[in-house]
This record gives sequence, C-alpha cells and structure tokens, in this order.
Amino acid sequence: MADVQAQSVRSVGALESILTGAVAVALTLLTGAVLLLLGGFDPIAAGGAMIGGAFGGWNTFVSITLVRSIPLILTGLAVALAFRAGVWNIGAEGQLYAGAIAAVWVGIRGGALPAPLLVPAVLMSAGVAGALWALVPTLMHLRLGVGEVITTILMNFVGIYLAAYMVHGPLQEARGVFPQTGPIAEAARLPMLLPGSRLHWGFGVALLLAAALAVVVRRTRFGFELRAVGASPEAAAVSGRIDTSRVLLVSFLGSGAIAGLAGGVEISGLTHALYEDLSPGWGYTAIAVALLAGLNPAGVVVTGVLFGALQAGAGAMQRDAGIPAAWVGVVEALVILAVLAIDRIRRRAGALRAAGARGDE
Amino acid sequence: MSRNVRTCLLSSLVALVGCGGSSASDDGSLRAALLTSGPVSDAGWYAGAYDGLLLIQDSLGATISHQQTATPAEFDEAFLAYASSGYDLIFAHGFEYQDAAVRAGSQFPDVTIVVSGGGRIADNVVPLIFRLEEGSYLAGMAAAAMSETGMVGMVGGVAIPPAQGTFRAFEAGARSIDPDIRVLETFTGDWNDVAAAKEATVAQLSRGADVIIHNVDAASFGVFQAVREAAADGRTVWAVGMNSDQNDVAPDVIIGSAVIRIPQAFLETARRWETGEVGGAPIYASIREGVIDFVFNPRLMDRVPSGIVERIAAARSDIRSGALTVPRVRFVEDEVGAP
Repeated sequence: MADVQAQSVRSVGALESILTGAVAVALTLLTGAVLLLLGGFDPIAAGGAMIGGAFGGWNTFVSITLVRSIPLILTGLAVALAFRAGVWNIGAEGQLYAGAIAAVWVGIRGGALPAPLLVPAVLMSAGVAGALWALVPTLMHLRLGVGEVITTILMNFVGIYLAAYMVHGPLQEARGVFPQTGPIAEAARLPMLLPGSRLHWGFGVALLLAAALAVVVRRTRFGFELRAVGASPEAAAVSGRIDTSRVLLVSFLGSGAIAGLAGGVEISGLTHALYEDLSPGWGYTAIAVALLAGLNPAGVVVTGVLFGALQAGAGAMQRDAGIPAAWVGVVEALVILAVLAIDRIRRRAGALRAAGARGDE
Repeated sequence: MSRNVRTCLLSSLVALVGCGGSSASDDGSLRAALLTSGPVSDAGWYAGAYDGLLLIQDSLGATISHQQTATPAEFDEAFLAYASSGYDLIFAHGFEYQDAAVRAGSQFPDVTIVVSGGGRIADNVVPLIFRLEEGSYLAGMAAAAMSETGMVGMVGGVAIPPAQGTFRAFEAGARSIDPDIRVLETFTGDWNDVAAAKEATVAQLSRGADVIIHNVDAASFGVFQAVREAAADGRTVWAVGMNSDQNDVAPDVIIGSAVIRIPQAFLETARRWETGEVGGAPIYASIREGVIDFVFNPRLMDRVPSGIVERIAAARSDIRSGALTVPRVRFVEDEVGAP
C-alpha cells in the first residue's frame, strides 16, 4: 500500500497548481513578448490587452472569462477522472459533441415534459450520450485490449461529423436553410447564475461536480480503488480486493458522461442551438487543464479558469492590440507548452521527494 | 460613469494599462469593428472584408478593430466586448453570426450589426446580401467558352443557400453558352480546408472537367494549386476566382474572377449608417451598384475565344437593366417581396 501512495505523486494540492500556473504564465509571457517583438508588434500593448480582456472589470471577468471556463472545467474534470484511473481518454471532444447532440434533441423535442423537468432531462441525456460515446472505446479496451488513445481519438471524428450531419439533416432548423438546429425550448435553458451577466448555472454545475468528485476521489472506497488502479493496475489486481475492470469501466464511462455533460451545458446554458463549430477543441485543451491541475478536481476549477482567462485574453489581444489571430494562437500554444514542461519538472521533483522520503524510512 | 471609473481603476490596477475602451468614442467619430470566422489572409472573402474595414478607417476617419472568432460562444463574447467598449457598427462577415447578432442586437440597441449573407432581420441587425450569383453567371459564360472537354467543375465549402445560389447561376451562365455542358459539383464541408478543396479539385479534373470555379474561402489556394499542378502536367485547365479579384493569386491559370467589391459595399454601408439609413431591412449589393462583377485576367486575354468578352458585356448590361434575370436562392426571412 505504501508503494501505491508513494507513486501517486500526480495528485497535488490546489495551491501548488496555482503556483505552477503562475510560473508557466510568467515564462510564457517572456517568450511571447520576444516573439511579438520579432513580428513587429507591441508586446506591452498585447500583454495589457490580454490581461484586460480576462480580468479587466467585473463584467469582463464574469461574462467572458468565467463563461469560457465552464466547458474547460467540465471537460477537464472528465479527463482528470479517466487519467486518475490510468485510462487515457483523449475522446472528451467527441463525447462533448455526443452530449450536445442529445441535449439539443431533448431540448427541442422534449416539449411534452413538464417545464421544471426539462433542464434536468437535457443535462442527463447529454451525460448518458457522452457515456455511450465512451462505451465503444471502453469495451474495445476491456474486452479486446485495444489501446484507448487511438479509439477515443477516432471516436472524436465520428462525433464531430455526426454533429455536422445532424445540422445538415435530421436536426436542421425548420426552414432547412442554414447548417444549424432551431433553438431549444425556453424551459430547456439553464437560468442565469448572475442576472445581467452571461454567467449561467453551468458554472454552478461545474463547481458542484468538482466538489463531488474531490470527495469521491479522496474519501470513498471507490476513490481509493481508482487511485490504486491508476497508480498500478497490476498491483491493484494482485491485491485481490480490487475489481480492476469495474474501476476502469466506471471511470471511463464516468469520464464520458462528464464530457457529454459539458456539451449539454454549453447548449442549455449558452448557445441554445447546435452548430457545426460548437467547440474550439475544449476536449483537447482539457488534457492540459487536467494535467496542470495534477488531476486534482479542485485544481481543475483553478486551471479551467486560468485557461478561460487565457482564451478571453487572446480574444482581446486581437480586438484591442490588433495582433492577428495566428500570432495570438502562437502565444496561446506557448502557454500550453510551458504548462506541460513545468508540470513535467514538478512531477520529477515530486518523484524525487517521494523516493527520498522512502529512503528515510 | 461610476461604473466606467471602477472598470478603469480595476483594469489599471490589474493590467497596468489605461482604459482603451470607452474614451475614444467621446470625439464622436465612428467606431467600426469586423468579425470573421477565418483568416483575413485568404485573398478572398475575409481579406475583402478586412480591406473594407481599412477603407472605412481611411475614408471616414473611423476607429477600427478586427477579431477572428471560431465558435458561437465566441461570437456572443465578441459582440459583448465590442458593444460594451463603444463600437457603433459591427460587420459580422458570414451567416454563422446571425443568431448571436440578433441576441446582441436586442441587448445593445445602440449598436448596429451588419451580417454578410445573414438571413435574420431586426431593427439594428441587417443582412448585407451580395448578389454574387450575378458575377457567377458571367463566370459560367466564360468557363463554358474556355472549356474544351465540355465539362466544368464547382468546388464549394459548406452547402448553404448563398453558395448553392452562386453554383446554380454558374451553371445557368455556362448553359447559355453551351447548352450541353456538363457541370460537376462538390461541397467539402469546410471553407478553409485547403487539402480537402485540393482533393475535390483533383477528382473533378480527373473526371474530365477543365475549368474549375470555387466558392470557398482560405481553401481556394487548394483549388488553384490542383489546377496549377494539372497545367504543369501538360493539360489545358483553368480556374475561376471568387469573392475577390483573385487573378493575381495564380495568374497563369485563373482566367477571371467573380468579384464582390466588399470594401466598396462596406464603405457604402458605413456611409448610409452615418446618415441613419441602416436598419430593419436587408441591404442588397449587386452588379447594378458596381459591387458585383466578373473580371477577366488581363494576362490571359490572348487565350480567351473571340466574341465571348462582348457576349459577357452584353449579359452584364442586361442584368443591370433587368432584361436578364439570374436564378438565385432566397434565404432572408420575409424576402418574398424583395427586389
């Protein structure tokens, strides 16, 4: 058991996540500034626009940064749950689209349901759809031993193109003109969390889910099994008291359900209709969000907001500092690279510490 | 006011920058913004819009800003950011913005949003409809005249009504020259996927088409590249540009371009906005206003069969006078009585 604990260095506290994030951002700003200078742009103006666009005023922070963080937190939680169990679910993007398709279908066609039940029905159907989307890679992994990295990535393309088919075909808006669905019913829309802003209850859902997952991972028997399997599936199996397949199944499907919920929340809370380009790749960014948070659910909230701020600031860099989108994309990518590098360094330091502690015993 | 001060203080504290947003509108000059969902380096649809924004800056002394946005959530956010930092006129360059534009329009009544190719109308949300099918009809005449195989091709992005409309008109124009001409059509599903557009073009060329028109955005480079490679292999093949005058993009194979003079249309719209004439109804831009046209590539004029230039000129003036009606797809709500 001690071995399991010692190897589980991936889980770290929220405070450490914040510090890592701050260092990553500082390093990246420096690199970004040099690049922008080379491109003939004013890095001070760019940096100012970026920070202003993310934190410049209460409404900016709430209506842009926090709204952007909602799908990042939810998909980040999905990835964190799977990775904790050692399941490399790279398929949050496809699971999100599956959830969005189900949500919009129920939101439009579910008119017969009593109004108070419609939002829960929309969100639950999104979660179920996401779990079903993860079911194919799960079964292929458990029954056939097919690597889930490949299958989940492939299922992303199926999900994205299924959404495209839906908005050109079965779910296209009533006039049949534009590639989008009609709007979901009023009763199917998540209410606003802060009236007068764009912040909807999806943020509350994300926070509640993060809290629930934190409790499950730390305080329940399943959480213990999850960490044990994630640390070493062989050791967990040999212990004889952990049903490894069940843990993998539950965490994989749970991960899919949360990613699907992210799609449902986006439909129900924000766009109220399905479009082809619903997601800018949240399911992939989620991997960086989850890793930076050390796969810690509470940390995912922090890193999700951080990435939300990064994306909000990126938009403002275009608007207020006149930096072209391609350059902004480079700076964004730099941040993610810095994040991953620093996460690696920190993990190595953690492993050394753990090894040192073991040597002292 | 107090809110502005607080916002200023907050952003100064956090960002150590001043308040870029709200102060500049105090001098009363126009503040105009542009949203595109693709890169303005596409030498076509988006580039034309960006040139239009620059023209508004130069001609009307406007303060300008541009943002490239990809997702519906970003559309909402960009409208919010522009509206709350004092922008008066927002050009949202594509139908995909229409729902977000209507939402933002009702929330910010002082802002006017012009949606290129949009289908929804509100007091302060107006579609700007380019009758590109008129230029596309003339392009079809040119393509049929150039074709030696009797087969021409069309490569599109997303199969939306405005794009389909240009292809129907292209076909009609081609048939007016050669009633037996065969016309291929492919929609790749993506305006900016260069590889997909190139593949579709290669496929059409290998089926025997020898003149290819496109209606994509940044993906047009893929169409031109495929035609160039076929020409390098010794085939006599041509491409037709679309959206902007693309004759310089591949001057050896582009025989001409169906153009939207987007900058001119944007500037005219901004002028009309200043005199209070924009709102509640679509704005149409066609051959009649000089916004839409077909322009031959001057470097390839020696390859153009005799007589076709005159026939195209005659068709152009017939369209202008109303003697010739180009088929088009109607997609703006309540457009039944439109001109």
